[in-house]
Amino acid sequence: MADRSVTPDAVGRALEVLRERLDRRTAAFLNACVRCGLCAETCHVYLADCEPDSTPAAKVERLARLFRRYHTVLGRLTPGLVGAEAMTEDTLQALAAAAFGRCTLCGRCALNCSVGLDPASILRFARTVLGAAGLVPQGIRANIEAAQATGNTMSISPEDVRETIAWLEEDLRQTIGDPEVCMPVDRQGSRVLYALNPRELKFFPLSISAAGAIFHAARESWTLTATDFDITNYGYFAGDMEAQRAIASRLIGRAEELSVQELVVAECGHGYRTLRWEAPEWLGRPLPFAVKSFVEVMAEYLAAGRLRLDPSRNPDPVTLHDPCNLVRNGGVIEEPRYLLCHAVTTFVEMTPNREDNYCCGGGGGLLAASEHTARRLVSGRVKADQIRATGAKVVVSPCHNCIDQLMELNRHYALGVEVRTLGEVVADALILTGTG
Amino acid sequence: MTAGSLILLAALLVAGAAFLAERLSPRFSGVPAPVAPPRGSAAAGMVYAFTLAFGPGAKESASLHLPSYLAGIAYHLGIFAAIARLLTTLVPVTVPPAVDVTAVVLFAVGLGCGLTLLGKRVFDARLRAISVPDDFLANLLVDTTLVTGIVASLDHSLVALFQVTGAALLVYAPLGKLRHMLFLLVSRRWLGATLGRRGVRPSPPPGVSRG
Repeated sequence: MADRSVTPDAVGRALEVLRERLDRRTAAFLNACVRCGLCAETCHVYLADCEPDSTPAAKVERLARLFRRYHTVLGRLTPGLVGAEAMTEDTLQALAAAAFGRCTLCGRCALNCSVGLDPASILRFARTVLGAAGLVPQGIRANIEAAQATGNTMSISPEDVRETIAWLEEDLRQTIGDPEVCMPVDRQGSRVLYALNPRELKFFPLSISAAGAIFHAARESWTLTATDFDITNYGYFAGDMEAQRAIASRLIGRAEELSVQELVVAECGHGYRTLRWEAPEWLGRPLPFAVKSFVEVMAEYLAAGRLRLDPSRNPDPVTLHDPCNLVRNGGVIEEPRYLLCHAVTTFVEMTPNREDNYCCGGGGGLLAASEHTARRLVSGRVKADQIRATGAKVVVSPCHNCIDQLMELNRHYALGVEVRTLGEVVADALILTGTG
Repeated sequence: MTAGSLILLAALLVAGAAFLAERLSPRFSGVPAPVAPPRGSAAAGMVYAFTLAFGPGAKESASLHLPSYLAGIAYHLGIFAAIARLLTTLVPVTVPPAVDVTAVVLFAVGLGCGLTLLGKRVFDARLRAISVPDDFLANLLVDTTLVTGIVASLDHSLVALFQVTGAALLVYAPLGKLRHMLFLLVSRRWLGATLGRRGVRPSPPPGVSRG
């Protein structure tokens, strides 16, 4: 990151964003910070590296100094008094190191801020500023470009989707022993559209099979789609307001074309957050269908008696990693616990848990930003310690982004655990008609 | 009306106008009303943000830093009391001795806590790294007002001194970090509403899902 130069034109564009695109909420947050520093220990990055630059207050201060220079009287007249800084290549590089390198936008600091401001939203706006300066990590940028060009971040063609699903369907029929099992694609008028993270198609197809088994067991009217199926949104991570809207619009448009009543988001924290909470705001209208996480849907099926589970099929101790965007920023807090309590023999909570849980370290698009890999793994130590303390053999997380980070932490910190999605664990516990 | 009262009154008007202008500044775009269907209650989130969220156990910023938290509470109680006492100097009322005694205690405790927090900013490397001169100036302005408040409470003939330092504080408030006195309210309302709508705060009881 640090070796990417910033031209004077780019500095000018970033300044224009800071001047023209700040909203009242973010401005209020920037005006409210008193630099008390009491947020430090709420951040997993600071807990892991203990560097003063990693405290949420220090990260916020990077943008706040620019804000004060261009948006406050004292910042213009006596910048030294209020610590205001001009926007330059150096201040932008420092902002990039803070907003991308040391923050996963997990929002744990917001819940614990003594004033009550939201550092994550400030740092997301910082990313918007950095985008104008061309300082978004290349890996994040590449995912945005792929999503906009092909409809998904991994450029998977519709033919490949259909082929993969057909193979999974056949495999599921044999596994369950039921030739009636169906994994429909692009079926008009289904009640539910189940939308995927492209990584599932490429690397984790068994999580799609698990969803198929669960929908089959619940006798759901559902479909997948071969086009515009991608629930991820790297535009959100980049703070790119146009890209995030355009990317979300594709899947929303596809759900509208298929006339579904529910868009069910596969296990992906930021996918759920962006589609459930942010996209209606970006589009300026409510969506004509409900947006639910697959976690919520599974919990509904179980509560309604549409799923029967046998916990003895998952005998190893299981712990749960709460994805920040699903739980702290999404409100899906108790559903995963409800499911695990019925699907596994022994469920052990991490400490802390629920909305107070620590980020795994891979949020905010960091998994795609290879220049920050070292710090991402260091900051993951907090999560690794949490997992180790549970004594669990299986770590469940309803988020493919977290799964990737947890698998890497598993290797890096030699945790000796198995990392699984919630759907896979629930599917393993399914009691299907005729199979006992 | 005395000269001190006129200065204080003028400072109040200037501060009020400056805060209003800042709050309604057209420099910043508005935030549209949310349209995503709520999972919880925005109102409950806001109520939580302005009540229980101030408790010592509600946030790690308090529970992990209890001395700083308590000092901050005492400091702000002193400041609120000073502002209230300043306002009473504008109206022709006789302040009972018990009020003066209470004020002196609140101001003195607040002053001690304010100086303690200032010392922490000087000696704590982590805090020093994020500090700017305004942090010290704002603290000293408040401390000076508390000192003159103590003096004026002990000797009413010196109330003009209290009024002038209070006026300086009020005029500076919208300019520097003291502006958080307004934006804390705005921030809490927004964050409280967001967390409330999403069903995150107040925390749902374990085992109870929303939506």
